[in-house]
Amino acid sequence: MFDQLRAFHRPTSVATALRLFDSERRAGERGKFVAGGTDLVVQRDRSLRWLVDLTSLPLRYVKRRGQALVIGATSTMADLERSAALRRLADGVLAEAAATAGSRQIRNMGTAGGNLANASPAADLAPPLLVLDASVVIATRAGRRTMPLQRFFRGVNRTTLNGGLLIEVVVPLPRVKRGGRAAFAFQKLGRLESDIAIVNAAAGVAVDGGGRCTSARIALGAVAPTPFRARRAEALLVGERFDRAAADAAAARAAEETRPVTDVRGTAEYRREMSRVLVARALAECLEKFGRGR
Amino acid sequence: MTPRRATNRAGGAKNAPESGRAPHGAVMPRRPTNRAGGAKDAAESGRASHVAVRDLVIRVTVNGEARRWTVAPGDLLLDVLRREGFWGVKRGCETGECGACAVLVDGEPVNSCLMFAAQAEGRNLLTVEGVARGGQLDPIQEAFLDHGGVQCGYCTPAMVLCTRALLARSPHPTEAEVREALAGVFCRCTGYKKPVEAVLAAAAATATAGAGRAAAGARPKRRPAGRRAGP
Repeated sequence: MFDQLRAFHRPTSVATALRLFDSERRAGERGKFVAGGTDLVVQRDRSLRWLVDLTSLPLRYVKRRGQALVIGATSTMADLERSAALRRLADGVLAEAAATAGSRQIRNMGTAGGNLANASPAADLAPPLLVLDASVVIATRAGRRTMPLQRFFRGVNRTTLNGGLLIEVVVPLPRVKRGGRAAFAFQKLGRLESDIAIVNAAAGVAVDGGGRCTSARIALGAVAPTPFRARRAEALLVGERFDRAAADAAAARAAEETRPVTDVRGTAEYRREMSRVLVARALAECLEKFGRGR
Repeated sequence: MTPRRATNRAGGAKNAPESGRAPHGAVMPRRPTNRAGGAKDAAESGRASHVAVRDLVIRVTVNGEARRWTVAPGDLLLDVLRREGFWGVKRGCETGECGACAVLVDGEPVNSCLMFAAQAEGRNLLTVEGVARGGQLDPIQEAFLDHGGVQCGYCTPAMVLCTRALLARSPHPTEAEVREALAGVFCRCTGYKKPVEAVLAAAAATATAGAGRAAAGARPKRRPAGRRAGP
């Protein structure tokens, strides 16, 4: 199937991985980084002549660093769903999203870095990470740079990587003002939950002691060329009392911000309507969490 | 399902360096090879002459036995396992959907159609051939037989292995957990009711047998393992 490949490199350090990638690329033949393979192998790109495998790099961890959780890029979806730290973070939205990213076998292979670097519009980690204001750390031979996730996606399967290697995802711990509370939710519509998303969505809402929304994040996937934040919907919520009516109005606005396509999984019209439904459900879930007095 | 192309190692073999591990632990190229069918590659890539392919030597443990395999850079684990005679690893969709090719890697199920063989270096693999021990079927296999969880059998190796991983992690799973664990293996014969019943029964049997053994040193009744499945 990949009999046109002439080299499969297995570096054990990021520096070596970058050096190999660079020298192969300079030689002019096409190649890629690979980790879990759950996207790359399926894409069956016969123009690839070499691969630089990342699964021996020391990037499989979830750890606390200052006021953030840092996810190593080759952590698998299964690692994320099992991580105690991620299950505690933001009502566990990231762990929950990881747990829907395909079957058990796929989740044992597919990685956090791959989920983002492949830049599928339907990447399940993207909406919760956007809601959590996550950044990605990109290593290049010239050094490392950190950029907000929302600037990382450039289009369908397009990112700002350009030969750089996504090595970490940095998730700042959500901060809540004194007397306030925050709640988060993830929603996904697929044929089954573990199937590729027809629409996925995440929401994060902070309220003050009086139930007024102090901050809102709404993100959607599979309904535009890239996962994105529905900023006009967020703006509708901030400063207002957070209740069901406000949530429904924001959901309707979020649906207007989508740019869905029609494909085998659903029509654009269906995706737009389901975007409204999923955002409404995510916000209702947040509301319910506030109601439970957490 | 293209048959694997034969590798012509005529070129360069004599002067090739010995295989070995690089200081940084990477799998080292064994020898450059000129491959039969290189003309096809050249035609596709628009490049002249041959394509130098560097085969790799990998060390893996399969069903408890250490193995040393020479693989091409693009070989997938599914192809290598079948080439090496592990025909219980089934070729299905080859796109990671059907799960018939599932094997356990360090105890966790993965789809071998999506994993490069080179990525198995140093890992511990379990295929269905390694599930029965000493000619005795595993209680999981017994349960699949007893509960009608096997029909054509094509998905059964993967179901058995996914069950094995599940019960190792969660010896008393709920039905929901069982369904989740089997969700990545498609069955087109029995459906999922019988396999789910079988897994729940296997969990119960293992628990009971464990308790029984602890109490009386009794061994569970086992059925002799059947003939090895063909391709």
